[in-house]
Amino acid sequence: MTYLLTQLANGLSYGLILGLIAVGFVIVFTSTGVLNFAHGSVLLAGAYLVAVLHDPIGFWAAAVVGIAGAALLAVLINAVLVRNLAEANPGTAAILMLGVDILLLTELTRRIGNRVLTIGSPWGADVFSFGGITLPMSRVIAAGLALVVFALLWFLFARTGTGIAMRAAAADGDTASLMGIRLSRTGAAGWALAGALAAIAGIFLASFPAPGVAPTLAISAFAAIPAWVLGGFDSVVGAIVGGLIIGVVTALAVGYESELHFLGRGLGEVVPYAVMILVLLVRPSGLFGRKEAVRV
Amino acid sequence: MPDPLLTVDDLTVAYDGAVQALRGVSLRVDAGSVVAVLGSNGAGKTTLLRAVSRSLGTVGGAVTGGTVRFDGQDLARRDASWAVRAGLVQVPEGRRIFRDLTVEENLRAGGFTVRDARARTEATDRVLDLFPILADRRHQRGGLLSGGQQQMLAMGRGLMTSPKLLLLDEPSLGLAPQLVEQIGDIIEQIHAQGTSVLLIEQNASMGLRVADRAYVLEVGTITASGTAAELASTDDIRDRYLGVGTSSPTRTTHEDEPVDVPVHLRRSSTAAAQELRVEDLTVRFGGITALSGVSFTVAAGTIHALIGPNGAGKSTCINVLGGAYRATSGTVHYGDATVSALPSHRIADLGVARTFQNISLSLEATVEDNLLVGRHRVMRTGTAAQALRLPHARKEERTEREAVRRIAVLLGIESLLDRAVHTLSYGDRKRVEMGRALAAEPTLLLLDEPVAGMTHGESAVMADAIRAVQQELGLSVLLVEHDMPFVMGLAERITVLDFGKRIAEGSPQDVQRDPEVLRAYLGTAAA
Repeated sequence: MTYLLTQLANGLSYGLILGLIAVGFVIVFTSTGVLNFAHGSVLLAGAYLVAVLHDPIGFWAAAVVGIAGAALLAVLINAVLVRNLAEANPGTAAILMLGVDILLLTELTRRIGNRVLTIGSPWGADVFSFGGITLPMSRVIAAGLALVVFALLWFLFARTGTGIAMRAAAADGDTASLMGIRLSRTGAAGWALAGALAAIAGIFLASFPAPGVAPTLAISAFAAIPAWVLGGFDSVVGAIVGGLIIGVVTALAVGYESELHFLGRGLGEVVPYAVMILVLLVRPSGLFGRKEAVRV
Repeated sequence: MPDPLLTVDDLTVAYDGAVQALRGVSLRVDAGSVVAVLGSNGAGKTTLLRAVSRSLGTVGGAVTGGTVRFDGQDLARRDASWAVRAGLVQVPEGRRIFRDLTVEENLRAGGFTVRDARARTEATDRVLDLFPILADRRHQRGGLLSGGQQQMLAMGRGLMTSPKLLLLDEPSLGLAPQLVEQIGDIIEQIHAQGTSVLLIEQNASMGLRVADRAYVLEVGTITASGTAAELASTDDIRDRYLGVGTSSPTRTTHEDEPVDVPVHLRRSSTAAAQELRVEDLTVRFGGITALSGVSFTVAAGTIHALIGPNGAGKSTCINVLGGAYRATSGTVHYGDATVSALPSHRIADLGVARTFQNISLSLEATVEDNLLVGRHRVMRTGTAAQALRLPHARKEERTEREAVRRIAVLLGIESLLDRAVHTLSYGDRKRVEMGRALAAEPTLLLLDEPVAGMTHGESAVMADAIRAVQQELGLSVLLVEHDMPFVMGLAERITVLDFGKRIAEGSPQDVQRDPEVLRAYLGTAAA
């Protein structure tokens, strides 16, 4: 029982981190219509900044620089590349993003080399125990922080003029621009948010029990793609719920792998996609996705 | 004389660098006036508004000559956002409210450029004063409002910045006669509060009622202008836009004449129209009852109309007949088949074809290709034969293209066959949709607002076309429409719905006199 609860807590906290990444995918998609396949390397860039800066300027300052740096990088990708596409359609933009991802990842791999850079967080390898459940301290902090971030996002989108403008622009950009909402601004805001969220997630994905910042970190961001898709592509709530589902399912698949040997090894990597496909079979537009043609 | 608020001088606009939408248009709007622009579909009315509000870019258009001056400033290098801040706001065609945002959030989005919180609160209060219904529904999602309420929300959203000039694109589109009057009154109120209005309106009698001046735009040029009273008294305007002239599309003028539109449509099968029986039909969405216990019968080979206020359940009814919605209870029979138990592709196989209220076409494809999609049901060659371009597949394609061209001729859209649908005006898209439905060789045609967004003259042509196909092919037609001259002239029987219930049924003459119908729908003006 304790083992199950531990796995569940593990999965939920991991799921919240995936949620942070998946929400970034959603916001970029709704604000600029881009499938951001460079999200993983933006996440890695943020974590890399924290890893190289925590020694000279301290962890907290490094975290701020890393988060701001990732946001800035995302904004630049949008401003310099996406907005200048001659034929702006989702397919072209997606291929462009794959290219950006390869470039960024190559450069970061060159800089990191074979090393695994420590993230230098104050919680280090601390472990949190409660009622027999043990969880890395980094996961507990990640879960708490993610919940705070999600609450702030809710406030932004439901209560502030900027957030409502972003939702209006996402729903119908043409009409939103007739209200004086500048789509270039809402787009930039979306990319900046996504970059910042990715960097936060990156810091925790590089914390204990993970060894640190290595190029493979960019790949782990892709675990959030099934969460994004099964949540419904354009729903922030869906991305968070999707993250939790994928997190728990992955944790359980890994935790009980020894008993699931008949399914072969490496189940944890396959299971998110299997769950995604199952959900899409039943609900083609995802759990919270906007249904096509609401009123015919 | 003070400078006009808006001056458009010799404006030319082209789409995709090729299609000329406006050629040398000049007009002006004086401060404190209401100006109406009339014109048939594809005349360039929406293009004109988009050129003024600086939003042509999003639809692939560009100003190629001439100037637009607003409040003493040349707009040449200004964008939409600047225009809004300067007090020039456009309310787009088809309302385009943010469906997933609440009423209040829609208004907040409208007031995005108002930085001062107090000014924003004042603007909200003023809008809610003007549209009390919106205050009641503040926290409801915009998508749940009825058509009339959505139009009010769209107008209220436009007023949030307290603009100097409000551009209204077809505010009465798809609204019941009573609501059209109400929208007219609201425009007068907005005007009385000091906002000038540039109005595009297909409902010319409403447009000319509220306007001081009016312009007529035809194929990209201004063909007439003057005070609203002057224009309303010219024969041409009366004939084509007001429908009080000589060639009104009433049934009597056609009864003794042979059909004057050459149809030449042939059926590839011998299927004949059958009786459509709707029995005790009830549809509920969540807690809302859209239709409750509605029954009516469309006799084989007749034209039957379904009318009623916005939100009465007319489109819901069409949607059940076409298979898009499921009936909660009750049945629909078409001949021997039980339509209410079938998926939509099986219903299509029975010979039922439909058009949609919110047009549903492939925007990037050409008109011809959209019409060919409608032929899917009657085409026989398989995918492999088509891909390999085998002789019989090519022959079929030739005959199908010919069939599609005949339909286009009938509906007057032949010259548009090679155009991509996204470059067409609203009314032309309506015709393409109707063409696609006809292409399927239906025996029962369901038309959801077939002449919305058309001038009186155009709807008369449409009525002729519908009557021609109906007589030539002997099909049944069930149509939903707010254009009363159109309905009264065309339909043989009319069923009236209100709040999901049938309140009257009978011949056009009976229904027009029914006190209940006058109260719920037609209003005093139509009596």
